[in-house]
Amino acid sequence: MESVIINALQQGLIFAFMALGVLLTFRLLGFPDLTVEGTFPLGAAVTARVIVEGVNPLLAVLLGAVAGGMAGAATGLMHTRLKVNNILAGILTASAIYTVMLRTMGRPNTPLLAHENVYGQVLGWFNLTETNSTVIIALLVLTVIVRLLLGWFLNTDIGLALRATGSNEQMIRSLGVNTDNTKLMGLIIANFLVGLSGALACQLQGFADVGMGIGVLVAAIASVIVGETIFGGNRLGRLLTGVILGSIVYRGLLAIGLRMGLPAEDFKLMTAVLVLLVLCLPNFSLNKRLAGVVPGVQTKNKKPRQTRSLQADYSPSPAKELTVHVQNDGRVGE
Amino acid sequence: MIKLTGIDKYFFAGTPNEVKALDNVNLRVAQGDFITLIGSNGAGKSTLLKAIAGVISVDAGSIEIDGRNVTNLPEHTRARDIGRIDQDPLASTAAELSIEENLAMAYLRGQKRGLARAVTGQRAEIFREALKNIGLGLESRLKVPVGTLSGGQRQALALVMATLSRPKLLLLDEHTAALDPKAARLVMEITERLVNRYQLTTLMITHNMEQAIRFGNRLIMMHRGRIILDIGAEEKNKLTVPDLVTRFTSSSGSVFDDDRVLLA
Ligand SMILES: Nc1ncnc2c1ncn2[C@@H]1O[C@H](COP(=O)(O)OP(=O)(O)O)[C@@H](O)[C@H]1O
Ligand SMILES: [Mg+2]
Repeated sequence: MESVIINALQQGLIFAFMALGVLLTFRLLGFPDLTVEGTFPLGAAVTARVIVEGVNPLLAVLLGAVAGGMAGAATGLMHTRLKVNNILAGILTASAIYTVMLRTMGRPNTPLLAHENVYGQVLGWFNLTETNSTVIIALLVLTVIVRLLLGWFLNTDIGLALRATGSNEQMIRSLGVNTDNTKLMGLIIANFLVGLSGALACQLQGFADVGMGIGVLVAAIASVIVGETIFGGNRLGRLLTGVILGSIVYRGLLAIGLRMGLPAEDFKLMTAVLVLLVLCLPNFSLNKRLAGVVPGVQTKNKKPRQTRSLQADYSPSPAKELTVHVQNDGRVGE
Repeated sequence: MIKLTGIDKYFFAGTPNEVKALDNVNLRVAQGDFITLIGSNGAGKSTLLKAIAGVISVDAGSIEIDGRNVTNLPEHTRARDIGRIDQDPLASTAAELSIEENLAMAYLRGQKRGLARAVTGQRAEIFREALKNIGLGLESRLKVPVGTLSGGQRQALALVMATLSRPKLLLLDEHTAALDPKAARLVMEITERLVNRYQLTTLMITHNMEQAIRFGNRLIMMHRGRIILDIGAEEKNKLTVPDLVTRFTSSSGSVFDDDRVLLA
């Protein structure tokens, strides 16, 4: 049981950065960004390479995240400047990244166990030794910082413009925002987070591998869904925190599955089926919410997240409406 | 104030489906004009407003706002001067964001956006004041997601958003057409109040002849991409719906083919 909890927290927190990135693009920006399948291992590959070169691990992790951000910029520029379809732009970048990773590492896999890792380094500053629980504490601190930074950013004027780009692009453009820039910014931030996730993952597992990105996107989507369903509300703050918790719950479920003897090689199929099921269950109240997670997924209720509350909140104060009405009639003389 | 010269706009140019949506449109709008724009289906009314706002580019002619040639400027750089509301009540507000967040975005219309907090106490006070003007009680519901409002409430909010930063020009594209009659009347009443209060230069498309005659100080009629009638305040005051139908028929040589107009 202890191993399940440790696993859920370590993996959950590391992948929470990725889930936050996916939340940002898929959900808030309305941009189904497939770059992330490449960005995750890219963050790991870049980190591994520079660590082997002797760069200090914290800087190495930062470089991994920056490489992720650059991948996001590549997709963003392809889409906004060259007008490449958003899904295709992501696929092109992800595919190109594969070569970049092989060139960066010089081979498909780089072992790192012989080198100091970022957890040992940072914990060392506080005279702590690297154990399962201290690693969790370090990750938790970073998660809280990132969560707070994101929450702050998304409530600034720029952050709001970014969210509006996902909610109603035509409207925010008519208010003077260049939505090419907000998309680019969102993709950079999101992929920075995904790169960070990959960098932290390679530091924990002690190696980087070009194949480590396979299936991570579906897992991140599953985390967003779990988080939004169980913890999330309409409020942005709850959504951000919910997605972090969702990532932990999702990784916990996987750990429990492993513990019960389910074969690990079946997990990706099971996750895919799970996501599909949740997305397609008709007339299931969750359905309306989830329709917003993955753009393009059509559900029976096309207007996500509004249908129910519409009835509840419909009536303004009837008395007030009546007053205006009467004035109006009087003036117009109907 | 607004000067359109020789505007042409084609759709599907060079194909068998080519449509000339705007055909040598010339129009001068004076400061403070409230123009109602009417015309049969497909006359090019929406296209004209979109061309002025920069949502679509034009194929010939020039567009000037206050002496500045904006013909080739993208929509977002013209936004400072232009507030626009669409017929679709879902189009002019962002459903997932709250009332105050929508207003915060409109508050900075056309300005540089930075890393300042979007909704501050001070701004919320400004928003509350602006919402009180329309008398729907929305000022006490600032944190409610806009997606939970009715169509009429959303269009009323869109009006507040469009006028919050006092644009030079307000463009309304049948903004009450999708509403039920009661909500439509309410939104028209709010429109008139805001336009008068802020002396906004306004171009309003309507399919309702009676509305076109009742509101504003000038009436323009379009047909097949051209302006075929331009009626000033004096003449407009005496105008009746049958007059307008007659004048349409004689100017265009065809029968007014928008059944919605006759029903109205
Ligand atoms: N985006 C578009 N693509 C192709 N044709 C269009 C487009 N928008 C408008 N049109 C065509 O241009 C003409 C004018 O349309 P519109 O301006 O919407 O008319 P109105 O608003 O007066 O009813 C119509 O024939 C319409 O089919
Ligand atoms: Mg139209």
